[in-house]
Order: sequence, then structure tokens, then C-alpha cells
Amino acid sequence: MTNSMSNVGRINTLMGKNFSLIDAKIIDQYQVSYVLKKDDIHRALSVLKSNGFRQLSYLSCVDWPNDHEIEMVYIVMNWDEALHIQLHARIDRDNPVMDSILPIYPGAKYYEREAHEFFGVAFPGNPDYDKQLILEGWDDIPPMRKDFDPRAYSDKKFTKRDPKENFEVTDKTSKRPRQERREERANNLRTGGKK
Amino acid sequence: MNSTRFTERNKEEIDRKWWEIGDYFRRNSLWMLMYCTGCCAIELPPAMTSVYDMERLGMGPMATPRQADVLLVTGYLSLKTLRRLIYTYEQMSEPKYVVGFGSCTINGGIYHDSHAVINRLDQYIPVDVYVAGCMPNTESVMNGFVDLMDLMKSKKADGWKRYHTNYEWYRENQIAALGEVKVHDEFHE
Amino acid sequence: MIISLLIGLGVALGGFTFQTALGGVNRKIVARLQKRVGPRWYQEFIDIFKLLSKRSVSHGWIFDFGVIMALGGIIGTAMFMPVTSNILAFPSFDNFFIFVYLLAVGMLGMAMSASGSGNPLASIGVMRALTTMVAYEIPFMIVVLTIIKLAGTSSVSGIAEFQQMAGNNWFMIALPLGFVVAVLSLMGMLGKKPFETYIAPAEIASGPMVEYGGKQLGMLFIMHEITVFIEVSLFVHLFLGGAENIWMFAIKYFLVYAGLNLVSNVNGRFKIDQVVVFFYKWPLAMAVVQAIIAIYLGWVI
Repeated sequence: MTNSMSNVGRINTLMGKNFSLIDAKIIDQYQVSYVLKKDDIHRALSVLKSNGFRQLSYLSCVDWPNDHEIEMVYIVMNWDEALHIQLHARIDRDNPVMDSILPIYPGAKYYEREAHEFFGVAFPGNPDYDKQLILEGWDDIPPMRKDFDPRAYSDKKFTKRDPKENFEVTDKTSKRPRQERREERANNLRTGGKK
Repeated sequence: MNSTRFTERNKEEIDRKWWEIGDYFRRNSLWMLMYCTGCCAIELPPAMTSVYDMERLGMGPMATPRQADVLLVTGYLSLKTLRRLIYTYEQMSEPKYVVGFGSCTINGGIYHDSHAVINRLDQYIPVDVYVAGCMPNTESVMNGFVDLMDLMKSKKADGWKRYHTNYEWYRENQIAALGEVKVHDEFHE
Repeated sequence: MIISLLIGLGVALGGFTFQTALGGVNRKIVARLQKRVGPRWYQEFIDIFKLLSKRSVSHGWIFDFGVIMALGGIIGTAMFMPVTSNILAFPSFDNFFIFVYLLAVGMLGMAMSASGSGNPLASIGVMRALTTMVAYEIPFMIVVLTIIKLAGTSSVSGIAEFQQMAGNNWFMIALPLGFVVAVLSLMGMLGKKPFETYIAPAEIASGPMVEYGGKQLGMLFIMHEITVFIEVSLFVHLFLGGAENIWMFAIKYFLVYAGLNLVSNVNGRFKIDQVVVFFYKWPLAMAVVQAIIAIYLGWVI
């Protein structure tokens, strides 16, 4: 294995030469982050894959409701150089469509289904992207969007238990025999039935 | 007329006697189905092994729902798990009992405002005994089992009968939470 | 005839009671090994009666019929079992091969019923049980055939009497290699730990029993207890010289069963291919060597 800092430099020149980077950030000697345009993602992933980044570690989204944008995050990894690369790209939030990366990384199939389920992003090119995966029979807006209120949904859908306001024991005598029995039993459990 | 009524009452009496004898056997041999949904399941190994040794109460783990008597719901239930829990509960052979562990099954616990986790287990399947705590310690788990045996002795552990009589109500709640109890997708067809 | 039938049924029922009580005692012994208190000695009875008191689901008539066939077949087998030299329901019908073939009826019933449940794990379990059977039968059969050759009879009580005659040792001492093979095969027969592959609760959810609950499972438990009784008493008669009276039989039986249980509880579980390879390697070789030594060279202690 070569020096990891030089690996980062190599990838930096590779990416800077081929793509117009909006932002590039070296997080540490094992992680680099690039922000690209939406259209460059597929080409960038192909280039990275042919440069040893064989594994797609993760694919997810970040919701930015104030910018009306959804940020796609792709994390690829190189097993030979111990290097993770994050690729970010922003897409429109109201009509979120991102072409599938299935031809490049076949393992993205279920990540894309998950992203569709939780963020509502459409992935044309993935034949199954709109099938249900984790949420079965979901009936609201995608739950990981920032404008989804889980508490309101939970209050609407699931029966709550009303907590009692007053926790004081009203009649203390009625509890005593039960308490004694319980203590006896606890003692019994502790000693394994022996006196 | 009089005599038929007498024999009917006699028959009921005999049935009751048989049931009581059966209850003795049932409460001294509780086989558990551990549905380890959440973190409370970690309390079961010490309850089973040499420290607390639940085998001296006649309890033991069982492999499938058909063989088991007690369903232990150990922890929070997401909607996806609840669906499987209902399948499992309906597969068990009667009489069957349910023990809910931890505050998650009582009122949602720390997941009370999650979009995916139900709050009250007893809305969906009948629960006989709750063991409170987050997490309950092993002594209270054992205490819960002994409580269940006491309830069986005094004929109060009748959750499976309630499930029969109030089936419509339970089914309504299940549908309200799950949409449809039977799931249709590529993994189940 | 009627008296014979009654004795036979008595042997089956007594065997069931004895084995079930012994099973509870053994659970207690194992619990003490693990520094636990353990269940009551009659816990197994409680389990069985509880199962019989439960309501159960049927998966079609083959499922129900297979259980009854298994139980009936096993009770029928147990009726032929000699307990002591005197307690024998059907004299001259206690040939070793009768047990081998009648045991198969029970196993077949169970296999049929388990397959009738339609659960894939049950089919896997049945297949594994049959594979295990193929594995342990061959070494065991070679040893038993050696015994039959030496004793000159294939009647189980005849073999026991042959060992009790003056000048003859028990086959446990006379055929030491064969005895080791037989112990290993008996562990396979009883489904004890290293050969527990076809039950494997954590892996295939108790295999053939996966769909049983309530009454059917109770009947299978009764069947299992009687099967254990048959196999262990066969072992006692073939290798430990049978028994003159019923107490001797009980003591020998207890020693064999408890010993196997202790060995089983310090073992892990084999995979199914390991079971087959294991039985076809050392036990088979030892059985063949024992047969050659005993029959052709005549070296019998």
C-alpha cells in the first residue's frame, strides 16, 4: 500500500482534470468529499470504478427544504488504498428525479429503493425502484423529508396511553399484603426456593 | 326437563374440573416463544441460565410458535414487526399467553413519537402481563412470569379468549395501524 | 394370547413411565452440572399432559394420521421388547430384526406426517434424520451381526441369556471396539448432542416437529420417550447382558442413559455431512476390525 496522502492527491488530480468540481474537501487521509453537478455523477462514478473504487458503500439523500433541493450522496470505497470518496449532487426537490446508477454499481438496487421510499426520489433505469421495501403500506409523504412530522403522524395513527396525573397511593393499607407477598417472592427467587 | 338441566350443569361442572387440572399442567410448564424485537431480550439469558434458572419453574425456550405457550414480546414493535407478531400470535395453539416487556410495549417508551413504532401493544393483541422498566431487571422479569402463573391459577389470564370475543375490535385496530394485515410484495409471493 | 397382549401393553406403558421419569431426573442432573436448581423430576410428565390438554391445529389428514401411525408403530414395537429374562410378552418373537423393521414404521409415520405439514424445515429435518440413520445403521449393524454370529441366535433375549451363561463375558467386555461403536451409534439413534443435526432448534427450528403443537406434539413426545426406551433397552440386552430381575434392568438402563446424557451435554453439534463422514470413518473401520477379530481370528475375551 502506498502512502495514503499521496492517494488523496492522485484522486484529487484525477477528479479535477476530468470534472468541473463545485467544491472539493479533504476530510482526512481516508475520506475525500466532492460536490458535482447532477449530470456529472454517472461519469464520475464510472471513472472512479475503473480506478479501483469497486464498492458502493452507501447511497442516500439529504433534504434541504429551504433551498428546494435534495442532495444525493454516493459513497464509494477503494479496498486497496483504504479510501472513501463522497460524491454530492443536488437535484430539484419538487420533482426529484435521478437516473439510476444500476449499470455501474448493481448493488445500488436496494439503496435506490430505500431512497425512493424515504425521500421520494425517482430512479428511472431501476426497474423496481417504486416497489415497497421497508415501509409496508406507507400512506403519507416520505417520512425522512424535513416537513414530515413524525409526532403528528404517530398521534394520528397509534393509540396513546393516557398517563395518570396522580401517582400517589390513595389507600396505603390495601397495598401492604401485596407488597409483602411480592417481597417474599423476590426473596424466594433470590435464594432459589430455599428458605 | 329437570333431569336434562341437571346433566348439563353436571357436564359444565366436569368441564370446569378438567380445565382446572389442565391449568395446573399449563402453568407448571410454560414454554416460551421469544420474539426478540428489542433490547429487553438481553434480560432473558440471565433468567434462563444458572443465576435465576427459569427451568425450575418449568419454563423453557421453544423453537416455533406452534409448540409455544407464552409469547414474549421483548421491546419496541415497529409496524413491520407488528405484522409478523400478529402472524406469530395467530399461529400459536391455544391456550396462549402474552407477556410484554419494557416500557415500549406499554406506552411506546423512548420511541413514543416515532412514525414507525406503535405505542400500545394491547391495542393489537391481548396482553396478559406487562413487565415495566427500561429495561426491566431480571428479577422483575422472573416476577412477571410468576405473576402470569398466579393469573392462570386465578383464571384471569384469558387474553386468548378476549382475542376471540373482541376479534373485530382487535382487527380494526390492526388495520388502522397496518393498512392491511396481510402483506403483498415480492418477498411474500 | 390376551395375557401376552396385556404384558406387552404393560411393557410399553411401563417403559414410557420409566423413561419419562428418567428423562426428568436427567434434566435435573444436567441442571446440577450447570449449577442450576433444575426442574422437578416429574417435569416431563407435566410437559406431556400439558401438551395433550392444549388445542391444536390440523394440516390435513395425513398430518394427523401420521402421528397416530408413529405412536401406534412404536407402541407395537415396545410390546415385543423383553425387559428381563422372564418378562417377555411374545416369546420367540423378540428377534433383533423385528425391532429394526418395526421401528421403521414409527419413523415412517413421523416422516409422512412431517412432510404432510408442508413446512420446508420439516422436510429438511426428515431428510437429515434419514441421512443420520443411514450413517449410524451400517457400523451398528456390523457390530450386531458379529454378536449374532457369536451368540448363534438373533433373538434379543437369547443373546442376553448367552451372555449370562458361565464362561461368557458381556459383549461390552468381549467386544470392546464394538462397544465403542455401539455407544456412538446409540447417541446417533437417540439424537444426542453431537448428532442432534435433525432437531437443531436454532438452525431448522426443531426439524420434523416444526409444525406440531398441542395434542400432536404430545403424542410425538410420548412416541419419542418410547423410542428411547426401546433403543436403550436393546443396548442393555445386546451389550450389558440383559437383566435377571427388573431392578438390575433399571440400574443398567439408568447408567447407560445418564452416561449418554452427560457425554452429550459437553458436546457441540455436527453438521449433517460431518455426521455422515464421522460415522463412515472411525466407527465403520472399528466395526469391521472388530468383526474380523472376533469371527475369523476368534479373539473374544
